Amino acid sequence: MQYGNFRSLSLLLGGFALILGLGGCGTQVERLEPEEVRDLSGAWNDTDSRLVSEEMISDMLSRPWVDDFKRRTGKQPAVIVGTVRNLSHEHINTNTFVNDIQRELTNSGRVTFVASSQEREEIRDERLDQDIHASAETRKAMGQEYGADYMLSGQINTIIDMEGRTQVRYYQVDLTLISLVDNRKAWVGQKKIKKEVVNSKLRF
Amino acid sequence: MSLRLLQRPSGYIGWLLAGVLLLLQSGCASYSRNFEQEIQTLASQDPAAALDALEKQHHPERNRLLYHLNKAMLLHMLGDYAASNTEFEQAKAVIQQYQATSISEQGAAFFINDGTRTYVGSSLEQLMLHVYAAINYLLQNKVDEARVEALQIDVRLRQLQEDKPDSILSIDPFVRYLTGLIYEQLGEYDNAMIAYRKAYNAYLEHQKAYGINVPRFLKQDLLRFSRQLGLTEEYNKYRTRFNTEARQIDREQAELIVLFHKDLAPIKRSRRIAQMDPRTGYLVHFALPVYEPRNSQLSHARVVVEQQRINTERMEDISGIALRTLDQSMPAIMARALARAVIKYKMSRQVGEDNGLAGLVMNIAGVVSEQADTRSWLTLPGEIQMARVTLPPGDYNVELELIGRAGQVTAIRQLGRISLTRGSKRFLSYFMVPGLPNNEALE
Repeated sequence: MQYGNFRSLSLLLGGFALILGLGGCGTQVERLEPEEVRDLSGAWNDTDSRLVSEEMISDMLSRPWVDDFKRRTGKQPAVIVGTVRNLSHEHINTNTFVNDIQRELTNSGRVTFVASSQEREEIRDERLDQDIHASAETRKAMGQEYGADYMLSGQINTIIDMEGRTQVRYYQVDLTLISLVDNRKAWVGQKKIKKEVVNSKLRF
Repeated sequence: MSLRLLQRPSGYIGWLLAGVLLLLQSGCASYSRNFEQEIQTLASQDPAAALDALEKQHHPERNRLLYHLNKAMLLHMLGDYAASNTEFEQAKAVIQQYQATSISEQGAAFFINDGTRTYVGSSLEQLMLHVYAAINYLLQNKVDEARVEALQIDVRLRQLQEDKPDSILSIDPFVRYLTGLIYEQLGEYDNAMIAYRKAYNAYLEHQKAYGINVPRFLKQDLLRFSRQLGLTEEYNKYRTRFNTEARQIDREQAELIVLFHKDLAPIKRSRRIAQMDPRTGYLVHFALPVYEPRNSQLSHARVVVEQQRINTERMEDISGIALRTLDQSMPAIMARALARAVIKYKMSRQVGEDNGLAGLVMNIAGVVSEQADTRSWLTLPGEIQMARVTLPPGDYNVELELIGRAGQVTAIRQLGRISLTRGSKRFLSYFMVPGLPNNEALE
């Protein structure tokens, strides 16, 4: 009896020693398609960024402001990207989906984008440099910049509700297109994402 | 004798058990002792050398959180706030990954010691992680990013309130004050008012618990915002209570906010205790963590800019909170240690009945492997102090006088030159690490 008791105890202990030893398994790598949805922590990820930008683009182009502007001026509207503020509870890189939006809209051929304020600084430096070093026929003059007609800006907000290990995360992305002439809002886009994240109480 | 011992199957197992225990415990040497090298280099105000030493050390996966936290804090001291926040983000990922209770680790902790579990930080440390991440963003003037941390702090506090409603941490005052400061800077005055109000109530609670006072700035902030937001009744309440009027902030002025991190949070040591188990009557030995303070003789600091001399005020007594929270979790730690000691003793007795020597080795292995979990964030300061200085726009040299307990200036530190524009807020941070607190304890 005593012996059996002891053996089961030692088995138990040996088992734990084995489990401890298993800790450091090798790194595994699996290639994923960029479109594939893989939610790990429940935080804002590439899929959210893509969903938001796709929806925003299709919505923005389907609205009448583009055609209205064309009819009025005979030109394509020129848009500049302002800031998209991150007011959420996560450190979100807003650049990725702003760039997505910018690319799709530019490629659609219906809207032109002008360089953002940081990009402009760099280009102006280059123009200044050309002024001194470039030949007369290739030199680009200053004061020829294309002024934007609209500014795109927005924000990301979140609301979190939780109980125990369960969290409901609600993201709301708002983008606004404001006319630089008269501050009128030409388009307002909104996309909502809602997720439920359940953190397990136990792990192996 | 040894031959006969080897011929009996139970002898094998006894030796095996003892060996396993001895092997496993080799990696569990007291964490706080391993890190003493860094503390010594830190004491000479050389965070770069401390960082170097930290990088050279081996960090097992179960202590990875501490590696990130210490590295982040050393980078903060070196003024590399962006790199510091990269480390804090990794620390957050570790907590997220390991916060669930591990079945296998619980088992190991039950047989060997608490130090074999993956460290996910105390509630205080988890909160301070966000505080320092937010401070790092403020120092880089990335206020929107600091706001993200403020929201994460809010989530963390809500979790704490749910998990440990009695904990004094769930109403931490400075954390609330800091979030108020962030909202104020972004012009969200209603959010700022809510945060300041919560901070005020928390300071009153903490005052009862271990005697921290409501900072003077907070009183002014409450007066200012309650008046600005038209909360007349509340404004009058504060006015009578604080016996002062609201000083209106001049929009033409700028503000310098100096954060002074004083001393280090207490360090945990392992203390051996012999106690009779009430159920079995065995006299067993086990180890419990005890805190050892690491305070200096400094009282506060004085910010010197042009003609102005402003004393820093105590905003958060991390040492005080650490001591209290350990006291609160002590019954659970003690129950676990006692149960473990009894199990180890029983095992060695059972082995000993089959084979005396193996039993003896088992017993020794059991006692040797018994270590208190002394892991904690060792580079966390003991106290956070702050001064807010209103200045007209311009360039200034900022100096910090360190004031001893008797009121004398013990040292002067240059915080460098800053340039303030109209209506702007600039943050500066200085971390004063004390000399070796108690030489005997470190030997």
